[in-house]
Amino acid sequence: MPTPPLFIADLVVERGDKRIVDGLSLSLAPGEIYALLGGNGAGKSTTLFAILGFLERQGGSLTVGGVDVAANPDAVRRQVAYLPENVALYDHLTARENVDYFLKVAGCPRSRADVDAGFEGVGLAAAAWDERAARFSKGMRQKTAIALALLRETPLMLLDEPTSGLDPAAAGDFHRLLETLGRRGVAVLMVTHDLLGAADTADRIGLIQAGRIAREWTASPTVPRFDLNALHSGFASAR
Amino acid sequence: MSDLKREAWLLGRSRAALAALLLLFLCAGAGVALGLATVSRDRAAIDRMLAGQPAEESALAAFVDDAGYGAYYGFQPTWNPPSDLAFAALGNRDIAPTMLRIRALALEGQIYENEAANPELALPGRFDLAFVVVYLAPLVLIALLHDLWSGEREAGRLYALQATPAARRHIWGPRIVVRAGGVLAVLLVPFAVGAAITGTSPLRALAFAGIIVLACLFWTAVALLVARRGNSSAVNAASLAALWFALTLVAPAAAGLAINAGVTVPDGAALARENREDVHAGWDRPRDATMQRFLALYPQHAPGSALPPTFHWKWYFAFQHLGDLHVASASKAYRDGIARRADLARAAGWLLPPAGLSQAMARLARTDVAAQLAYQQRIRAYHTRLREFYYDYLFSEKPFGPADLATVPRFDPAGGM
Ligand SMILES: Nc1ncnc2c1ncn2[C@@H]1O[C@H](COP(=O)(O)OP(=O)(O)OP(=O)(O)O)[C@@H](O)[C@H]1O
Ligand SMILES: [Mg+2]
Repeated sequence: MPTPPLFIADLVVERGDKRIVDGLSLSLAPGEIYALLGGNGAGKSTTLFAILGFLERQGGSLTVGGVDVAANPDAVRRQVAYLPENVALYDHLTARENVDYFLKVAGCPRSRADVDAGFEGVGLAAAAWDERAARFSKGMRQKTAIALALLRETPLMLLDEPTSGLDPAAAGDFHRLLETLGRRGVAVLMVTHDLLGAADTADRIGLIQAGRIAREWTASPTVPRFDLNALHSGFASAR
Repeated sequence: MSDLKREAWLLGRSRAALAALLLLFLCAGAGVALGLATVSRDRAAIDRMLAGQPAEESALAAFVDDAGYGAYYGFQPTWNPPSDLAFAALGNRDIAPTMLRIRALALEGQIYENEAANPELALPGRFDLAFVVVYLAPLVLIALLHDLWSGEREAGRLYALQATPAARRHIWGPRIVVRAGGVLAVLLVPFAVGAAITGTSPLRALAFAGIIVLACLFWTAVALLVARRGNSSAVNAASLAALWFALTLVAPAAAGLAINAGVTVPDGAALARENREDVHAGWDRPRDATMQRFLALYPQHAPGSALPPTFHWKWYFAFQHLGDLHVASASKAYRDGIARRADLARAAGWLLPPAGLSQAMARLARTDVAAQLAYQQRIRAYHTRLREFYYDYLFSEKPFGPADLATVPRFDPAGGM
């Protein structure tokens, strides 16, 4: 059995004196798209921080591609592209310069043509490519950051609310993009509040509550992939 | 290397950072230019003094037929030539005399006449490169480094940056090197130009550059220690500004006041007055007593010491010298006091790195108090040779003419004590 791109078992993470994540287990297979849902403050972003090694874990195991993040955070970060919850770019740089800079920082520079293709893929208007990020709308920033994450070409992507700020058409494009990633074998862990979007793309949907995955739904091979009514009532009961 | 290039590129895209560096560069350039101008003005004044000497001596030769006249009218130049680093750290050169024309008369009054200020503990002095290094460069370092992490956190980019592999080695390290290196470069380039123009010896230039590097390292370390604490950029900036104020201005000034209060130094002007008054009193003292005291110091001149009933130069120069002896202990107390203050200031410099580094620059440039005292001692040694040269003529009644005037001992600025 190949090493999973992400393996989490009984994860415990505390922030301050609060136990935010408490026994969370979650594993991804290559190419799998997992949507993590939950109320505000449920611990979704915290889980991503633990995967990236920003926060120490107080219990459980957590590996990325078989590597324990506590032992070797850099090896983990090499395999992970991360889209933060609040995207911020260098305002005085253009979209292209931002992407170039962050790619170089990550040690994976890309050609101009590749970056162009990345921008095209996320639907960032060509006029914006060489414009300063200071003038960008929230959606344009989001698209730039998504393009950046995709250009990293890592086996695992951690996306914190990737569709926030995207118009419906762009969100739709983004979901198609995720599907192609999945087909290429990239595993995606996506935090989202967009139930419909999740149902549209995810292979599995998990509901985080009291620090662990309280409910989980798996897509059926036939349409409709998820029972939306079941999802809705699941969320309603989680509040 | 590519990390450094990338971070240099990023720094280059920040207008505020570039403006700060450019400003510092202009200040450092102005400091070097002013230093060079001051030094060349000093050199020109010394050259003028030396160039005028032959004319003065030939004028003297026209009427001098007696060693006493030669000793009385013959001014001799002494000077403390600027070192090859003086342009970068003017130190005390502007307040302490760098040249003095002296006669074989009582000396202490001639020296202390020009003594105006007691050197202090590295208070902001002249605008020169050392001033820029000690007072201005820290501000630019603080501006560039105080928000190294907090700035990214406040802009919301910190997580994205930290999520990249080996961020410490690939981002923060290079970023610090580029920013501190930028400050260092804008200081060192003008210095290198100044050193090249002056023809500074490479080793000494390197040593001076080393002090500049230390100053930058110190403030980089301070800025990073504060920046790492996780406070906001505003708090970091305020803390560092307070530290700068305390370390470069308040603490050295307080230490200087404490040292000056703790070590009393006789007043140089009063010493000069005392010297002159004692010399004047010499006119009215019994001549025999004067000669006896003098001969106790110069027994070899006893055979020719008999005085005619009228005025004679040997008596005159004897009481001139006794006037110096009269204030010798006060003069030594003055020098010791100044040296003691300088020692204490140096000790304080170990606790106050900015003050210590500025002293180190002045020491290397030989513009510090020690260099000033050494110059004074060279003047005293030379004055002794000059006096004794004339005593030989005065007490032996050897004839003295223009040819002898040409053999008067000359001051050697390099030492030769
Ligand atoms: N820096 C912090 N120190 C201590 N506790 C924190 C910190 N940041 C967040 N928390 C707490 O951790 C809990 C989980 O926060 P987290 O950001 O993971 O929530 P989330 O599920 O991502 O919520 P949202 O949907 O609003 O983004 C919250 O209760 C929050 O108060
Ligand atoms: Mg969140």
